[in-house]
Amino acid sequence: MRTNDDDLIPAWRRYLRLTRPNPAGDVDDELAFHIQSTVDELVAQGMSRDAARAAAQKKFGDVERISATLYNLSQQRERTMNRQELRETLKQDVVFGLRQLRKSPVFTLVAIVTLALGIGANSAIFSVVYSVLLHPLPYANGDRILTLSERIGVTQGYNAVTLGNFDTWRKEARSFDALGAEWGTGPRTLTGVGDPTPIYTMQRTSGFWKAEFIPPVLGRYFAESDEQLNAPHVVVLSTALWKNRFNGDPAIVGKTITLNSAPWTVIGIAPPDYIVFPPAEMIWIPLVLPPDRWNDHGDHELNVAGLVKAGVTPEQALRELTMIDTRLAKEYPNKGFDGTVLGQSPAEQLIGNQRRNLYTLLGAVALVLLIACGNVANLLLARGTVRRPEIAIRGALGASRRRIVGQLLIESLLLGIGGGILGLAVAAAGVKFLVRSPAGIPRLQDTTLNAPVLLFTLGLSIACALVFGLWPALRASRLDLQQTLRDGGRESAASVRDRARGALVVSELCLAQLLLVGAGLMIRSMLVVLSVPPGFATKNILMMNVQLPSARYANPAVREAAFTRIRESVAAVPGVRSAGFASMAPIHSRQFNCGAFREGSNGHDEGNWNANVRTADPGYFDVMGIPLLRGRAFTSADNAGSANVAIINRSLAVKLYGNADPIGRRVANCIGGSPEQPVWREIVGVVGDIHANGLSNDTPNEVYTPTPQFSQSQLTLVVRSNINAPSLLPSIRRAVAAIDPLLPLARVMTMEEAIGRSLALPRFNMWLLTLLGATGLILAVVGIYGVISYFVTQRTRELGVRMALGASTASVRWMIVRQGLVLGMLGVGLGSAVSYGTTRLMQNQVFGVTAHDPLTFVLVAAILVATAVAASYLPARRATRIDPLEALRG
Amino acid sequence: MTRTSIDLLQGTLDLIVLKALSWKPMHGFGLARWIQLTTDSVLQVEEGSLYPALYRMENRGWIKASWALTENGRRAKYYKLTATGRRQLVLETQSWDQLTGAIGKIMSTQSEPA
Repeated sequence: MRTNDDDLIPAWRRYLRLTRPNPAGDVDDELAFHIQSTVDELVAQGMSRDAARAAAQKKFGDVERISATLYNLSQQRERTMNRQELRETLKQDVVFGLRQLRKSPVFTLVAIVTLALGIGANSAIFSVVYSVLLHPLPYANGDRILTLSERIGVTQGYNAVTLGNFDTWRKEARSFDALGAEWGTGPRTLTGVGDPTPIYTMQRTSGFWKAEFIPPVLGRYFAESDEQLNAPHVVVLSTALWKNRFNGDPAIVGKTITLNSAPWTVIGIAPPDYIVFPPAEMIWIPLVLPPDRWNDHGDHELNVAGLVKAGVTPEQALRELTMIDTRLAKEYPNKGFDGTVLGQSPAEQLIGNQRRNLYTLLGAVALVLLIACGNVANLLLARGTVRRPEIAIRGALGASRRRIVGQLLIESLLLGIGGGILGLAVAAAGVKFLVRSPAGIPRLQDTTLNAPVLLFTLGLSIACALVFGLWPALRASRLDLQQTLRDGGRESAASVRDRARGALVVSELCLAQLLLVGAGLMIRSMLVVLSVPPGFATKNILMMNVQLPSARYANPAVREAAFTRIRESVAAVPGVRSAGFASMAPIHSRQFNCGAFREGSNGHDEGNWNANVRTADPGYFDVMGIPLLRGRAFTSADNAGSANVAIINRSLAVKLYGNADPIGRRVANCIGGSPEQPVWREIVGVVGDIHANGLSNDTPNEVYTPTPQFSQSQLTLVVRSNINAPSLLPSIRRAVAAIDPLLPLARVMTMEEAIGRSLALPRFNMWLLTLLGATGLILAVVGIYGVISYFVTQRTRELGVRMALGASTASVRWMIVRQGLVLGMLGVGLGSAVSYGTTRLMQNQVFGVTAHDPLTFVLVAAILVATAVAASYLPARRATRIDPLEALRG
Repeated sequence: MTRTSIDLLQGTLDLIVLKALSWKPMHGFGLARWIQLTTDSVLQVEEGSLYPALYRMENRGWIKASWALTENGRRAKYYKLTATGRRQLVLETQSWDQLTGAIGKIMSTQSEPA
């Protein structure tokens, strides 16, 4: 119930109080009155004035103490009232602001949608950045974990750790609570639950679980006893595998599953946090090797993680390892490590190369948001003009400038928060899109709109409201009351405002230019990459991995016979043109390489070239369409019993022999031998170069050997068809099953798919940047259109006069379009300068063009200027339709 | 000067002030005199209690102060009852009646405690 007089007074009148209340004065006055009244009474009873005063004082007691108490009480009251007043003011401003926004629904809608786009895009990208970069990895003692690698040489980068070096570290290093290693090994085929399925498999030492520890969902991880050569087979399953294949069986621990036809006992379930890349369905088995393998100091295979002892700094721990490794480098020279050990945090190691990429995207969305804010600021400036009379009247009625600015800012905040709420919907859609991207960014799949993202969005909304609201509010409130009221609300400072709004538009164009140049560079790179001739056929090529279980195919001769039969069976499928096997197909899987050297060189510094290593069968080159330049291809006569032969590619031939004919000469590499004990192979052919490591990488050197001369249990089947390759897959599966129904086919994909996947990340970046660039462009165009339209509206009278005096339509239109052109040129000029300085940061994300690619810069500039002109042409056309009479009368 | 012959119970002063102001707005001195007259000087309120009580009641929103001129032309701070204060008066009167009723019963009882 509100019957208090003050509550009925409009809030603004409270500001008319000329003086603030004076609690101290009030208390003194009140007590003085009381004493005075007592004195009067006593005097009336006949006491002398002096005696009465003394008596009154005495009766009253300690005036000081009482007035201090009263003063405190009234202070309290003042504070409560101020708080109430503030709340009340805020409430009124919000209600008033909402009413104002409802009164102009088009403005409100445009502003909120603009902000929603900007804020939503930012929240979406931020949620990815949070999930991938900022969200800590869930390991216990995460700050003490180091992932370790060995330096090859000062300028040559880093290698995985050798088996022998890791074994030496774990025996000698004292700075670690745990040192562990893991490597990826071929998939194991799971049978007995549904169809035979290859399951992604990692081999790990017990130390790795201890270093990167997250408590198991069920059971336990490996112990050292599981790493003995003849220890019983144990396996840890991922949570996804356990849930999907074993229905989350709570009694799974202790049960036996069948992997590659052998029984393995499940000892534990690892939590999903261990999966940073799909596939989520995987298994871990102990890293068990024969003792002599642990003495191999040249095989760089292991991912190594160490848990540094509490109280030991990472630097001390690395110094110890470097000391051990330096000694080993002297003992085993030329093994691909120079003694220096690199330690990174797991996050650094995992996402180091994603960081710049994601921050580029975050920068780009921030630019979009700035453009959006620019547009809303522009709308508010225009609105400030329309509202001049209202603001002037409020000012005249005594509202202070602070109060008016506050009110206008509240309106901006309402817009910002509205934009933020709608932006969350945009962000939700964006995250859905981003998570599905096949770009292979670790932990991308965990991205959600979580509490940090919501906080970020709220903060962003408020920050935006201040950015776009403060300047227009200050401008709107700084007006000459008399002038405005005298003008009857008509615009009187048009030129000043035009300059302000022009500056905003120029900044927007500048930002749009920066965005579009970024997008343009990505598009150009992609076009360059896609136009690279890969050196092999990409149409109608189907690839799949075929693994022969070692239990049933232990003998190399049996394996080769099986591969040959499979090849013949598949080649006989109608529609298949040819089929062949290789140890790995280009781009399809990660390539394997090591040093290749010619006979006569010392095998190390001279004549030793890093080259891809690949085995191939007689059909492979034909299937892949790799041209034979010299000599011959492999034949079925090149088998395990015949002379060792090799085929090299053109690049390697030139590097090893210059212009001399390589046919008949001998090379060696890591296959079957080493620089110390080379296994020489006679070169029988030279083939063309291929972009085996990805289209955006240079063509590597290649050494091919016949499959029987380096027998492996897993090969990649490549099939070339006359018709659409995927449609043949069922018949190909049947053809393989006809030879052995239990063989799983893994990584089945066409060459086009493989290339698509290899380019997924740059393509993902390209599309995102293009999308952001286009958004920025559209927003900037809307901004220009707004400013020019406003310009036309302001000059209606002037334009009418000009036309009445005989100015031609064309000249009037030109006068207006010129405004747009000038703004466009200014924006583009500024933008080009800014872009030139900024795109340097993108140098390692572009391919085949420089970050200052002139074509991109010129094209983007042309697009921006053209759209600026187009955006001003519409209002120009409208201007020339003005009826001069109407204009003059108006 | 005679001392207050009855120590006022906690909260009783509030009730007296609310009751007094329910007739008409008064200033602090007037209130003190009114209480004295009405109770035939049985109750004398000390200024050191009265004014803090008034300020506290004002903070609670029961009464409201404003400056006005007295009949003698002096500026004095007058207190008047607010709507909240009026409701409070009803509530406090009820609980006062209950309290005095209960004490009355105890004082007039004939049976000794068990």
